[in-house]
Amino acid sequence: MSLLQEEREIILSNEYVDNFDFAEVEDFVKNASKELFISHHFKNKKKMLVQPRGGFPTYKKQFALNEFFVEANVDVLPLTIDSNTRLNDYATAKKMLRLSEENEIDMLNGYPLVNHGYRTTRKMITHFNKPVSLRHGTPDARLLIETAIASGIFEIEGGPITYLLPYSKNFPLDKAFLYWKYVEKICANYSKLNEPINRESFGPLTATLVPPAITIVIQIIEMMLSLEEGVKSFSVSFSQTGSMNQDIVMGAVIKKLARHYAQEINCADATINLVYHQWMGAFPTNKDYAEQLINMSTVIAAMVGADKIITKTREEASGIPTKEANAKTVANTQYTLGILNGLPNIVDKEEEEILTLEVHAIMEAVLNDPADTLWRKAFNSIKSGIIDVPFSPHIINHNEMITIRDAKKNIRIIKRGNVPIPDRCFEYEKAQCDLTKDTTSIVNDIIHDIGIMQ
Amino acid sequence: MSKMNDKLLIDVGSTYFKVSTPTSIEQHLRDFNKDIYDDLTHKCGNTIKNYEKDDVYICSSANGGLSTLIIGLTNSFSLKYAKNIAFNSGINIIETVMYQNIEEYSVPSDVIDVVIIVGGINSNSNIFGEDLYSYLDKLNYSNVVYVGSEGQAPALQERIENLVILPNIIDEKLHIVEENLKVYLTNLYQEDIEGKEDIKHLYDITSNQIYSTPYIVNKTLPMINTKFSVVDPYILIDIGGATTDIHYSKDLVDDNIVTENEYDRLVFKKLGVYKSRESLIFAAQNNEFVYELLTHLKVTENIFQDQSEKATKVLMQLAIFLVLCKMSHYKQAYINLKLLSINSIVFTGGITKVLSSGEIEDIISFFYKKILNSNHNPATVLDSNYDIWTLGAKGN
Repeated sequence: MSLLQEEREIILSNEYVDNFDFAEVEDFVKNASKELFISHHFKNKKKMLVQPRGGFPTYKKQFALNEFFVEANVDVLPLTIDSNTRLNDYATAKKMLRLSEENEIDMLNGYPLVNHGYRTTRKMITHFNKPVSLRHGTPDARLLIETAIASGIFEIEGGPITYLLPYSKNFPLDKAFLYWKYVEKICANYSKLNEPINRESFGPLTATLVPPAITIVIQIIEMMLSLEEGVKSFSVSFSQTGSMNQDIVMGAVIKKLARHYAQEINCADATINLVYHQWMGAFPTNKDYAEQLINMSTVIAAMVGADKIITKTREEASGIPTKEANAKTVANTQYTLGILNGLPNIVDKEEEEILTLEVHAIMEAVLNDPADTLWRKAFNSIKSGIIDVPFSPHIINHNEMITIRDAKKNIRIIKRGNVPIPDRCFEYEKAQCDLTKDTTSIVNDIIHDIGIMQ
Repeated sequence: MSKMNDKLLIDVGSTYFKVSTPTSIEQHLRDFNKDIYDDLTHKCGNTIKNYEKDDVYICSSANGGLSTLIIGLTNSFSLKYAKNIAFNSGINIIETVMYQNIEEYSVPSDVIDVVIIVGGINSNSNIFGEDLYSYLDKLNYSNVVYVGSEGQAPALQERIENLVILPNIIDEKLHIVEENLKVYLTNLYQEDIEGKEDIKHLYDITSNQIYSTPYIVNKTLPMINTKFSVVDPYILIDIGGATTDIHYSKDLVDDNIVTENEYDRLVFKKLGVYKSRESLIFAAQNNEFVYELLTHLKVTENIFQDQSEKATKVLMQLAIFLVLCKMSHYKQAYINLKLLSINSIVFTGGITKVLSSGEIEDIISFFYKKILNSNHNPATVLDSNYDIWTLGAKGN
């Protein structure tokens, strides 16, 4: 038996997992409907795929949510996992699931997939016969991903950096890299049986003043880590920044550089898709404004040529959205996409050049790290501040980089910390901002910029 | 160049010593009537003489290592950081003192090998005052090191004799800076070994530094997959004659700190089955589950008076149970591990010579059921050939 298989057996012998039958799961994946594979839809798509967010604790409510989504013309169904499962606390998830089933109140903020088990969940996934995207935020997602694929979920979001730096304070980053390496291997192995399992990185990060260069570097690194394990379908992503021009520039650069670095590691045969997240920052409490914001995101997604858009709801600022609000946003987004025809092709050469130089410079520093593996090069780069995510709560993140919006609402780097932004680019970034103000005013600007869409 | 052109690895434990060549590994129960050097050369002289001093690497956990007392300002930073560095340098912590409450602490009667004082970031000063000096006056210690705020250093140096000042282990972002204190403690350990009559003669056969065994074992952990099928997160339990060491994967704790180590270490100085047998029995008798456990093992408490092989087995099993208890929420120790998340438990040390996999698994499952009310069953791995120690020693 291979070491990986031994590892799988130990992980799946967890007391909260019912008899995992490897042969049966393999057989299921081999014969699964192509409609369940998002990679199949990407390949044959005629339009941008629309995917909402959403997850409820009980099977019954999750099923009802999916029914609503299908009614609203969704292209990709979501399955958002509860936070206990995200932290590998299956005992609490089990208890809360039981309470949710017995009462009217939802005791979990998502679907506890491990506790429901793959046999039960698969019934729902195959019933709707639409691709499902797993949304979770788990540093150690090994058991979750095994269960997801066995259930018929062939689109796995996340990555060692993007699911750690925005969500966790203490979980060791080196462990996260190793646990995600396992996930990539599993996805790559299953991909050989049918259509490829798609891996999607989580581009929004902290969703707070993250400069495009940092987002792109992290997207590229997670893509490379995934491709080097054999994954053949990968989605890079980013979220609305607050500047239409910056989004368009970012879309062009991320597409170009993702392909470039895939080629660098001899993985040009993999399909790279682009996913765009509707606004991920603080939402306006006024629901009409929220709808305008969402609509604007949809327009930008069309302009950046995204392959998939992930939606938000008008209820974002007031709590967990209802299934009705989720369905409404899907229908509205589909409508907007349907009427967006003949958009102009906007190119900002100077901005593209600056961003490209920044990404190359950071990537060069990462790849020049003397470590023997890419994951450790990335680990060392985060530890030394070569990669620095603004407003990350994680203790390993340097938080030395400071960003602010310029007059046109572009996110600009005004303090680079250890991030090797080339001098020319740094001067350009700063030149766009009014830095003659006193420190207090700049801090106030940053605070305003965080809540800009409110 | 040695005749065999490779390394000879020697581990001197409190009960056994092990000698590993590229082709074999031998172990001998120590003869406590002889000093270690004489005993070792008597039993393994033929092997040792095949190696040059440069190719002989020795580590030792004999005599229990150094003892330390740490005085710090906060549990979340100074004390936590210093404890982490000390444990990972192979040092045993006998007491931690929160400076604010220093007057409430009793003064340990043992001689302390090293006192570590830490607290504050560099911009702070006037942190420590008269109450620190009067506490130190009452303490019986051999070394004292300061690794706190730079601003405070001159005042302390003026008042504390032979104070060694090293850079602050807390940086301005409240991250840990471990290297300087780690090197200091590791060197101190070596000096201690050199000073110990029992071990200093070992430098007649090696020209390399003698490290503490736990330090070497900790170095092995990132490489453990090359020898064993161990699934992260895992813990490694080294139950020896005098101490029990736990090395654990850092994702098992909520309250992590950024260090160079992927694994942390916890030591229970008085939980061994030979040299600290009495304290193990004492700890067992004070555990409310122990009689249930003895019934489960089909023995009575008379086993504590017994000196048989059966009694050693039971003590080993008790040691496993007690260390797991100490790491669980049942006992508030240095750290609480997320034991329900563990996929593997690796055992090394003398225990692998005494207990079978079945006997170990039985006790683990008893622990999970009784203390954690769970049917969780981590995979058990036995390092019965000392591969963990030899891997670390080779890599060092």
